[in-house]
Amino acid sequence: MDKIKLAVYWASSCGGCDIAIVELGEHLLELAQVADLVFWPAAMDFKYRDVEAMPDGNIDVTLFNGAIRTEHDAHIAALLRRKSRCLVAFGSCAMEGCIPALANIQGKERALHRAALETPTTDNPTDVMPASVIVIPEGELQLPVLCNLLRPLEQVVPVDYTIPGCPPHHDQVWQVLQQVIHGELPAPGALLGVDPLTVCDQCPRTREGKVRVDRFLRPHEFIADPDRCLLEQGLVCAGPATHAGCGALCVNANMPCRGCYGPPDGVADQGAAMLDAIVAAMDGQSDAEIRRVLGTIVDPVGTFYRFSLGSSFLQQLVASAMGAAPCAAPSGEETHG
Amino acid sequence: MTGAARFDGGFVGEILAEPGGEHLLTCWSCGTCAATCLVRRFDPAFNPRLLLRRAGLGLREQVLSSAEIWQCSACDACYPRCPQQIHISDVIRAIRNIAIREGYAPPGPHAEVDPQRCSGCAVCTRACPYGAIDRVVTFIDDQERTIARVDPNLCQHCGICVAACPSGAMALETVNDRELVTRMGAGGWLERPGMLQGGADAPRILAFVCQWSIHADSEWAALDALQSDGLRIVRLPCSGRVDPAMVLLALTQGADGVLVVGCAEGECHYLRGTYLGRGKVLLLNEMMKQLGLASERIAFAQSGALDRRVLPRLVDQMRADLVRLAHEPAAAAV
Repeated sequence: MDKIKLAVYWASSCGGCDIAIVELGEHLLELAQVADLVFWPAAMDFKYRDVEAMPDGNIDVTLFNGAIRTEHDAHIAALLRRKSRCLVAFGSCAMEGCIPALANIQGKERALHRAALETPTTDNPTDVMPASVIVIPEGELQLPVLCNLLRPLEQVVPVDYTIPGCPPHHDQVWQVLQQVIHGELPAPGALLGVDPLTVCDQCPRTREGKVRVDRFLRPHEFIADPDRCLLEQGLVCAGPATHAGCGALCVNANMPCRGCYGPPDGVADQGAAMLDAIVAAMDGQSDAEIRRVLGTIVDPVGTFYRFSLGSSFLQQLVASAMGAAPCAAPSGEETHG
Repeated sequence: MTGAARFDGGFVGEILAEPGGEHLLTCWSCGTCAATCLVRRFDPAFNPRLLLRRAGLGLREQVLSSAEIWQCSACDACYPRCPQQIHISDVIRAIRNIAIREGYAPPGPHAEVDPQRCSGCAVCTRACPYGAIDRVVTFIDDQERTIARVDPNLCQHCGICVAACPSGAMALETVNDRELVTRMGAGGWLERPGMLQGGADAPRILAFVCQWSIHADSEWAALDALQSDGLRIVRLPCSGRVDPAMVLLALTQGADGVLVVGCAEGECHYLRGTYLGRGKVLLLNEMMKQLGLASERIAFAQSGALDRRVLPRLVDQMRADLVRLAHEPAAAAV
């Protein structure tokens, strides 16, 4: 039997998704017996030109993690789409934009300014800003151009499957790889590596069910009771609006669910579902009271859409208000060097 | 009719013994409750005065078998106006309790849980203004699961749980997501581009209107006449039923603005529904501002019990805001 040709790529991501694959541990040896890794920049030495030289559709499965932040990301996404028979959006960034999509709240210029000049760990005495072209005595250096809007993979090229999670849990990754190895993948379009229902279904905590809260808190403000529902203690826990699949990892570590596994089946906009669930849990018998209670939610966009802003209705509104294309060069085909 | 019904003197005693039913006999039958009742506006057959009168006369079967005892939503609009200070919704609840014990049930509809999709997250049990939803342990496909269960005797079919459920596991006839989206978009209304998209000459507004917030039939009739390409009205049982996803969906399509109209503070027909509607719009506005989007595209407005013909004014106001936005897009970023 021919070995399966497998590729792993990272676009705009933190590297956690690649770690999730490394976390397969001994399973990687099993994988190596049935699959050839033909491209995995985070772990092994490959060149883009090796991929470009492949015939179209040569790669059986590409696990693509990271969002489309630069024209270069868009270019590689288009390249890997062409070379792969099956393209999988791997992890929250590729699926829905994840944390990097929060840069869309104030736009790329602000994000760049913040990253290059303002963060507490930045030491940049001459206020140097990254530029796409820098001329030095030896010649010209190029950096990929930032797109106006960070986008999930699906908004750039067609995607066959999606694996949620920030990062996907390695047990789930192994389940999916076994489906790949045994040719048992469901019909295209499916969400892979998940469990049925929501995080609350896997959460062992006690929910009293009728407790409403008169203020919302953030995790650093108190130590939560390890046995009671976090939402009923006032923490904005995204469990009710988050697809099951992680095994309720965060809530078992006494931290609220942040929502990284994306919306439950059939739900279009995770943040909107989250907003409604939070409002339902709010106490208050007057306009002034509900204003006070809801006023304790710091950063509603970042709280409700921590992972899913990139695939939200709000992002569509931002995109149409921007009045410019999300990326200057449509697929960035000419930007690779 | 009254003569034919069997008199049952013991019935009065039964009601008086039931918590909440103590004040039955202090009723003067003045009818102030009926004059203020919101339910009565929708269904003239509902009359709290007559209900209490019949109960006071001991007409047990007639009272217990009537559909009216299930219609009171305990909004308590009548309570502060009753000269005898009878908590009428409590008396009616006492009568309901007896009816439930006797095997009577409300005619429905009521919210229903899809056990396959319910995670038992308890969002709906917290959302329900009536405490009509509990969680129960059950076996589904041989697996022990905890899921929500609606008590049809307590459900007032406000639809708040349908909006709140983050898994789409809650359903209620006529106000399900799919039905509302159909009403929003009927005739291709949503697909036509709005003024802010440069597709229309005038703003296109979608209004979610609580059915209790507009008080006169003539007003509803006037509103229907107002519906046009520039205004689509979707009637909701309560502003608490409004779904943030639908508001945002409308804005990404052809709606320039979304107006949510609910009852005035303290006048909600469903106890806290209007607070939920306000709360959702409040957070939506907050998020629009965070993203540098024009937050005036989403507005909550109230229509009080004594207000008349406020909706046309609200719509005009929003129209003016949207026209200003369309002409100076820079204002959107403020």
